[in-house]
Amino acid sequence: MEYRIAEHPILGVQEKGRKVTFTYDGKTIDGFEGEPIAAALKAHGLLIHRYTKKEHKPRGIFCAIGRCTDCVMVVDGVPNIRTCITPLKEGMVINTQYGVSDKPFEEQ
Amino acid sequence: MNTVVDRSKDIGPFIPAPDDDMIICRCEEVTKGEIRKAVHAGMWTITEIRRYLRSGMGLCQGQTCSRLVKGIVARELGVSPAELEPATARSPMRPTEMKVFGNEEVSA
Amino acid sequence: MERYDLIVVGAGPSGLSASIEAAKRGMKVIVFDENEKPGGQLFKQIHKFFGSKEHHAKIRGFKIGEELLKEADELGVEVVLNATVMGLYIDKEVTVRIGDGINHYKGDTIIVATGAAENMVTFPGWTLPGVIGAGAAQTMMNLHGIKPGNRVLMLGTGNVGLVVSFQLIQAGCEVVALVDAAPRVGGYGVHAAKVARTGVPFYLSHTIKEAEGDEFITGVTIHEVDSTFTPIPGTEKHFDVDTICMAVGLSPMSQLLKMAGCEMEDNPKRGGQVPIIDDYGRTSVPGIIAAGDVSGIEEASSAMIEGKMAGVCAAEYLGYCTEKELEETLKVLENDLESLRQGMFAPKNRGKQIEKTEEGIDISTNLLKKGYVTDEEIERFPGVTHKVGVHPVMECTQNIPCNPCQDACKKGCISIGENITNLPFVKNDSECINCGMCVASCSGQAIFLVDEDAGEGKATVTLPYEFLPLPAVGTRGFGLSREGKIVCDAEVLSVKSVPAFDHTNLLTISVPKEYAMRARFFKVG
Repeated sequence: MEYRIAEHPILGVQEKGRKVTFTYDGKTIDGFEGEPIAAALKAHGLLIHRYTKKEHKPRGIFCAIGRCTDCVMVVDGVPNIRTCITPLKEGMVINTQYGVSDKPFEEQ
Repeated sequence: MNTVVDRSKDIGPFIPAPDDDMIICRCEEVTKGEIRKAVHAGMWTITEIRRYLRSGMGLCQGQTCSRLVKGIVARELGVSPAELEPATARSPMRPTEMKVFGNEEVSA
Repeated sequence: MERYDLIVVGAGPSGLSASIEAAKRGMKVIVFDENEKPGGQLFKQIHKFFGSKEHHAKIRGFKIGEELLKEADELGVEVVLNATVMGLYIDKEVTVRIGDGINHYKGDTIIVATGAAENMVTFPGWTLPGVIGAGAAQTMMNLHGIKPGNRVLMLGTGNVGLVVSFQLIQAGCEVVALVDAAPRVGGYGVHAAKVARTGVPFYLSHTIKEAEGDEFITGVTIHEVDSTFTPIPGTEKHFDVDTICMAVGLSPMSQLLKMAGCEMEDNPKRGGQVPIIDDYGRTSVPGIIAAGDVSGIEEASSAMIEGKMAGVCAAEYLGYCTEKELEETLKVLENDLESLRQGMFAPKNRGKQIEKTEEGIDISTNLLKKGYVTDEEIERFPGVTHKVGVHPVMECTQNIPCNPCQDACKKGCISIGENITNLPFVKNDSECINCGMCVASCSGQAIFLVDEDAGEGKATVTLPYEFLPLPAVGTRGFGLSREGKIVCDAEVLSVKSVPAFDHTNLLTISVPKEYAMRARFFKVG
């Protein structure tokens, strides 16, 4: 399923940065430099950013402007990074966040 | 502004409701039932509720839930939400790492 | 610590407007915004604005943002992005996070223009990935070029819900339903009508029963509620969706003002916790001024005027303009603001049930319940008349402050009259030349050019079309009713896209004569 808008009736073809690769839970995928990490993930249909600490429930993008902090992930080893406002860079290591760790709960 | 001062008022017992397990504070995973119970345990102000349950004290600092919590507490007390004093506003307004918060740049 | 005449918090429509007015009068101004890009919500607003020329009417929001930025830049306003204001203190000192450090600034005046945050409602499953705010949807599709989902249910029929639904369709998403617990559509009827005619059903007096899915949204069930908002058993309807979008109102983000010691109040009419201000945004702390949604939820057009007011007040406070200049400027701005705060959606009419237009015409009940005016109801409005030859049909049925149609017609066919909220009507002595400017200029997409008898049993209808792909001349398909139901065969006779239309394409379709007043949208067959 394609999530990227090829051409928009009002905005036309949107300019993007250069194509870069990054890893998501160990897999190498691509996105555009400078776009929010969350946008690059969404373009691949990846919706789950983290599992909550208490109830281990999935969460994803909610406000998309850095307010709600639901979309946080472990980025380059640092947890609680708001992926909806953090620009994607070449070679970033992005992992699903479990509680505040990138290790699944059973390994914690 | 906080007109809810008469603590002798009888708000009746806590009556369980079917939606008590609904998550209200998304960050700290506090449920509607927990908030309602807290009111019956004597937490009548938003500040008390926050300190008791940590609702609105998580990563987003109540961006999403403050209005919802206020509505639930007001309903339980039988007052209008406008009568409840909102939580204290204090710095930092956004989630900030301690190392940043403590990094005072003298010459801005 | 650096010192500025004026520190503005927030580079949205009101913050930028404030900085421009202050800089014009010689103040040294700095604007902080926590976002990567300036303009606040303006850059997500891709629809044409309402109002009159002075209010940037018929210009798309993001273009207004570009204009404001350019003006601020030319006046030497410093706009610092990725700069989060962390604290505001009573002596007008602010702490700002820039990069990995905290910087201190002292302002001799402060304008807080932090805007608003989205409200949310809860239902089982509301924390699942795929449940998002309407603002999130706008951000993803209009700023980042990413569809928020493929099948979307929108909760909320205020202007945000209606406008974002239309934008979702423009981005290529399918909107399966518009749902609102209220018994009446909350936003402008014209916004509802342009969504309804594409075939989106409206469910008023309905709420979400539950969102379904284990790891993310796979479906949603809604149910009807009675007048006390209690669900009615047996009224459940299910939709397969991957996204639920919430547009259930906004709350002012006024915490900085509270922190600074400004007197606050909880005012439901203004949207929640707001500073107590005078008519021009001045708070109880001298030199601290509020502008835009932070002092009461309205929209971008009024936020810009409030910003200007705040800017001039700041200038006068420090002696950069005289009291006389302040008074004169405020008088003009107050008039501008007052003209926007007219009509049935004016702040003073919030919560009132308005049954008749200012002209005394019964408001379409179907529009409020289903999002479109019925074929029978439409005939009673002054913009809808019948004539020989091509003529404009203006399906503008509510009093809102807007008049670009009147200026668009070079032949003077269209009149609104003295009051900007009047319903437009066609002047009898004028001749339509079929130029289409009125169709493209109507921010509500409510004007059509109709030739009720084009010969051979056919009629032609020219309609605004802002979707891709654009059908080619000769494409056969169907004419859709105001409800979005297929009513007849249709063929595209012409497609006009000129720069003056600003991306509103004009599609002329040929339909059987009897559908001249019924076909209002085209669907490829």
